[in-house]
Amino acid sequence: MDKKKLRNDIFLIAALLLIATIALIIFSFSSIKKNLIAKVYVQNDVKEVIDLSKKEENDYFVQGTHGEVHIHTYNGGIAIVESNCPHQDCVHMGYVYESNKPIICAYNEVYIIIEGKSLNDAELG
Amino acid sequence: MMKRLLLFIPLLTLISCSQTKIVNSKIFCFDTMININLYEGDSGNLKDIEGIFTRYDKLSDNYRSRDVHNVYTINHTNEEVVVDNGLYNLLNKAFSVKNEGAAYFDPLCGSLSKKWKESLEKGEVLSDEIINEELEKMHVSSIEFNENNKIKRLGEAEIDVGGIAKGYALDEVYTYLKNKDISHYLVNAGSSSILVGEKNNKSGLFSIGINDLTNAYIELKNCFVSTSGVSTQGVKINDVTYSHIINPVTGSAINNYDAVIVISDKGYLGDALSTSMMMNSVDEIKEIEEIQNVKTIVIKDKKIVYSNKDIEVKYH
Repeated sequence: MDKKKLRNDIFLIAALLLIATIALIIFSFSSIKKNLIAKVYVQNDVKEVIDLSKKEENDYFVQGTHGEVHIHTYNGGIAIVESNCPHQDCVHMGYVYESNKPIICAYNEVYIIIEGKSLNDAELG
Repeated sequence: MMKRLLLFIPLLTLISCSQTKIVNSKIFCFDTMININLYEGDSGNLKDIEGIFTRYDKLSDNYRSRDVHNVYTINHTNEEVVVDNGLYNLLNKAFSVKNEGAAYFDPLCGSLSKKWKESLEKGEVLSDEIINEELEKMHVSSIEFNENNKIKRLGEAEIDVGGIAKGYALDEVYTYLKNKDISHYLVNAGSSSILVGEKNNKSGLFSIGINDLTNAYIELKNCFVSTSGVSTQGVKINDVTYSHIINPVTGSAINNYDAVIVISDKGYLGDALSTSMMMNSVDEIKEIEEIQNVKTIVIKDKKIVYSNKDIEVKYH
């Protein structure tokens, strides 16, 4: 093998590895960035899909199985702020900013799931 | 030319490594959200698993009648009831788990739990008079397991298997996945009972966050993890936190801890023990751990008061 051919091969390997590394970094970064979508379910149907990454302040009202549930988004977080459920566990939960922490109003069969980046695969408690 | 083509292999490897096929589904069962993640298998497997949860949700319901004989049916008669094989076995486990260390797990505390729930909803502590009446009902009640899936409730106490049903359903899911040769999965039954398989990475470990401790997590694979606690359903009256977990011996709704986490190889056992251990002392918990081969974390006032030596709690 002449020296020129060897140099070209090394150059090609280096170029390919560089492209692959850059592609991997871009892929990983874009996966992290496209995060935090809140899906609001009533029973098993998606009623609202909310992009939390816009960090907008908004109100949403969904009809649960026993009454209307008032949902509020603020600064990238989401909360149930009003519900006619007896325990008010969902309201007391406050704003949730990360995935794997669903907000559940069992009485109205409303639940909110945030999908996207999370530090853990699941949460206990 | 061949040599140059071979150079593309590392690139292809990198691209293929970044793609993981996951089939996922979320269903509302047991008054909570069930999140099923399979890293192998297909949508048919998801449907089968959803079917297991839906079935046990119906069978264990003690609040309303469904299209099958369920716990509600049994609670509303003293006649013999023919039940589904799944409910028969679930009830059998619920009534025998006391012998596996869950001394404070009593499925006959259904009406006492309901009375506490109604009282706490009004912001009131249940009176001693009602507690004693309910405890008396429990003492004189029992259940008969007869041949051909026949169940007979004796007495007035109501059955509640809510503390064990999700774990039992997870046991069925585990058996199903094992039979299908599926080992990469994470099935989260409402954050209180989780079936942990193997993750699609080198270690196979999943990171499981602990909500009662700030930024804490444990890394697990191939086990069941169950937790009971007061953080989401506790009610504070005059600075005392009352729980949905009732002590079946005293009738009290005050627990010793904020949360107990149990790592085990059986879902129903982990669920029952985590509930029962809320009333145990730490020394008793250590004893049960040894006998039942489970690992435990006990949390009070946002701190770990006991953790099994084989569990490493990490922090982000």
